[in-house]
Amino acid sequence: MKKDPCIRERPGGIPPVFPFSAILGQDPMKLALILNAIEPRVGGVLIRGEKGTAKSTAVRGLAALLPRGAVHRGCPFNCSPHHPREWCSSCLDRPSRATEKRRAPVVTLPLNATEDRVLGGIDFSATLRRGSRVFQPGLLARAHGGILYVDEVNLLDDHLVDIILDAAVSGENVIEREGTAFRHASCFSLVGTMNPEEGSLRPQLLDRFGLCVEVESERDVSLRVELVERRGEFDRDPEAFLERFAQDEARLAHHLARAREVVASLKVRGSVRNYIGELTQSQNVAGHRADLVMERAACAHAAWNGKRHPEVEDVLAVAEMVLCHRRREALPPPPPPPPPPPPTEDHEEPQEPQEPSREPEQESGREEEQGESHGGERGGGEDSREEEPPNHDGGQGQDQHFEVGETFAVKKLVPPDDRLLRRGSGRRSRTRTSQKQGRYVRSRMGGSGCDLALDATLRAAAVHQKKRRRDGGATIVIEPGDWRQKVREKRVGCFILFVVDASGSMGARGRMGASKGAIMSLLLDAYQKRDRVALVAFRRREAEVLLPPTSSIELAARLLSEMPVGGRTPLSAGLSKAYEMVRTRLRHEPNLRPLVVVITDGKSNVALGQGSPRDEALRIAARMGEDPRVHWIVVDTEEPGIVRFDLAGRLAGALGAEYFRIDGLRATDLVNVVKGHTA
Amino acid sequence: MKKTQYPFVAIVGQERMKTGLILTLINPTLSGILIRGEKGTAKSTAVRGLADVLPWIEVIRDCPFQLAPSEPGEACEGCSRHGCRERLQAGEPPELSRRKVSVVELPVGATEDRVVGSLDLEHALKEGEKHFEPGLLASAHRGILYVDEVNLLDDHVVDVLLDSAAMGVCTVEREGVSHSHPARFTLVGTMNPEEGELRPQLLDRFGLCATVRGAESLEERVLVMERRVAFDEDPGAFSGQWLKESEKLARTMERALELYPLVTIDRSLLEEIARYCMEVGVDGHRGDIILMKTAKTLAAFHGHREVAPHHVEEAAQLVLPHRVRRQPMQDILEDVSNLRTAGR
Repeated sequence: MKKDPCIRERPGGIPPVFPFSAILGQDPMKLALILNAIEPRVGGVLIRGEKGTAKSTAVRGLAALLPRGAVHRGCPFNCSPHHPREWCSSCLDRPSRATEKRRAPVVTLPLNATEDRVLGGIDFSATLRRGSRVFQPGLLARAHGGILYVDEVNLLDDHLVDIILDAAVSGENVIEREGTAFRHASCFSLVGTMNPEEGSLRPQLLDRFGLCVEVESERDVSLRVELVERRGEFDRDPEAFLERFAQDEARLAHHLARAREVVASLKVRGSVRNYIGELTQSQNVAGHRADLVMERAACAHAAWNGKRHPEVEDVLAVAEMVLCHRRREALPPPPPPPPPPPPTEDHEEPQEPQEPSREPEQESGREEEQGESHGGERGGGEDSREEEPPNHDGGQGQDQHFEVGETFAVKKLVPPDDRLLRRGSGRRSRTRTSQKQGRYVRSRMGGSGCDLALDATLRAAAVHQKKRRRDGGATIVIEPGDWRQKVREKRVGCFILFVVDASGSMGARGRMGASKGAIMSLLLDAYQKRDRVALVAFRRREAEVLLPPTSSIELAARLLSEMPVGGRTPLSAGLSKAYEMVRTRLRHEPNLRPLVVVITDGKSNVALGQGSPRDEALRIAARMGEDPRVHWIVVDTEEPGIVRFDLAGRLAGALGAEYFRIDGLRATDLVNVVKGHTA
Repeated sequence: MKKTQYPFVAIVGQERMKTGLILTLINPTLSGILIRGEKGTAKSTAVRGLADVLPWIEVIRDCPFQLAPSEPGEACEGCSRHGCRERLQAGEPPELSRRKVSVVELPVGATEDRVVGSLDLEHALKEGEKHFEPGLLASAHRGILYVDEVNLLDDHVVDVLLDSAAMGVCTVEREGVSHSHPARFTLVGTMNPEEGELRPQLLDRFGLCATVRGAESLEERVLVMERRVAFDEDPGAFSGQWLKESEKLARTMERALELYPLVTIDRSLLEEIARYCMEVGVDGHRGDIILMKTAKTLAAFHGHREVAPHHVEEAAQLVLPHRVRRQPMQDILEDVSNLRTAGR
């Protein structure tokens, strides 16, 4: 007879927790967690780092160190006897309630939590039994006075993030939903862990975290060995391991409790306060939260080290944690480290390397202008023009390869809202959803009773109670006719088709490098939003599907970097091919709202039929633009010279597309994002 | 009537995948294996065929959470089985039964509430009483959770898996239900990389990773066909032929299971492991820990009491390929030892 020798079961089946004091290295993270435990008003800790660096282990281990505080016995909101102003209504009714000592809770918020469990909502069984609305406290109530822990906080649904932020800011949880109105105190500090590879956090939420620490793996062999040994020991015999560290744990807990007692009485000297101000100012930090947080963190640090006044060194010890996520320029780096930007990067000069060639550029611009006008008049004249750009870079018709240029964080590209139901998941556009997931926006009649909106159902049933009521059984009698179903809304990924101009004109002067960089940036964004992508390239005489719709962004990226460039520009063919593909997709999934990103300089010199290629492209574009299901985006790769044709702009106009230049895609340009959304 | 599965031991070649699967069965704390490969490379066959060699466990009879005799506790609250709760309260030991570890299949289209469990609404409305209806994670506790085409899994289901896999506890906070029960499962996933990669965080949760490809040699391919035809003609007889092999493997695994806690590893090898992980460029420390465990399990499987250097090398091929730090859009490697020599 075997039982698993590898896992020792604990009563209750909850696995034992690796002790905090046994965690090796990762000192900044441990310090930040401890400071936050000493002074919860620091406002929470965000731990960012690669996987497998004891992030979650540390937070779970911290639970055992938190000091015990008094709470009212039996109060579902964990009201503290010391703060009568925060009492819930039931405690107000009975001011002399019995109290008990209890360890501050660490409440885990699972990613799949629904709104009603986070905020609190109606208690099903009690409501049905008693026939009156009974409120059931949620996780925010449970976390009062303690820590709310979100693992993978960057994956949390936006609407949950909003709720938690609201409560964290006001220290109070206000519920106005499902026909309930209720409020209770909810002071907690938020601790989140995240792996930046999975996407970054919204700036507002980032700023809410008082401290932020970056963790990475240890580089020292003997430390790593020790670490593995400890883990092995723990797995083999958790009880003995806990025993071994019991003393350390007790010492740490005691130390922490002492620091917590004195921290409130610490006085900050004026000079130190000035120093903090200077520091935050010199670091170009937005807002004043950083100053406040830094002062509190410095106090906590001083208390931890047994000092009576925080000093400059206490400030310095915590400065990095306070500032690292608030500095203005150093936006949180996107997970896959982009190639380091050129040292003198400036927004005015995004294409630095081309600076010296300004002269020839204008010249060739003029040449192209001529070529263009010729091309417009007679169909056969393009070849001479076509040879022009390759003259700069190599032989005629030669395929060229370009490295992928600099990548950057892209701004939000969202197709417009609609009212259709969709299945699936992702993080790009909002949609109504038919799955039991997402935010409950309202209810509607009927349904099978599987995603029941209890509030609406009860309201519907209420009017019939008198005639339905009989002896025994439930107090409220509900019949299938009363059932109301929830209508939910959530985000789904979408389908993005990239249509890339790979003609010779794009090859000129590193334009393709920049374009590839832009596409790559969009691809990275597509990965984080869980979109599916496809790639169509057009050059020479035809358009080609390089990549059929797939969610393998890796494949797309590889094809992109290998994509050859050269030849003429069959813009019409490219557009038609793209539209054809989109239409096929739409036939498969009528609810899809594809996003088509056309990356081109807008020049066209090969027509599908007779006549002027440029007019033909515009005509086709106008026709495609009429399809309301497709959302178009044109990325103009034409260089910002003096002579500009704005052909891509006209193309965008014909398609009814959003128009961007490559630099306009950057997320850093906040003003534009806002404009883009209101326009 | 249960369909006969193609026996695991009759699979031709694919040694790395087979070793990986066996190791995860011996040591569930390795937290599973990801099998990557083209279509038709016996990925699913291997997982389904495991049925014959699965180890035995002891569970509380009819427990919806598959609890071990020592486990009952929090999860039992709100459980609809009154019988065993009453026994527990009376201080009696629960009724036990012995069965093979179960393989629970998670369909790609599964919804979140089916995976984590939800409120039994019918019961709630009829009786005015809350019951937790356990989901797939409860069924998979102490067993194997098998996801075919794991890369196509809905995103929010992946989040749920990550949550539970990280803590070994499934916490449900949805629609009026607040419940948590232990959920330690061995995650076995198969995928075809052409259809897209896994999210890094999920990738990291798989202890091991094996890449499979079609057999290269003519003889092997012929052998594959012959065996498959024989199986299709008479599954019962074919399985009978392989019964001995299966039993032999099951016995070896049982022995390894007993031996594992006794296996020791020398400090110099631990240093070797740490250096290995650093040289190939692995994020975090999970790689180190899993590598140590895998090497020990491998030693146990081969009947050794001490880990030898070649165990570490073999284990590294299973543990590290998917952990090596990659460029944003780079493919997963198949062989890590090259990388190491190149890095020196």
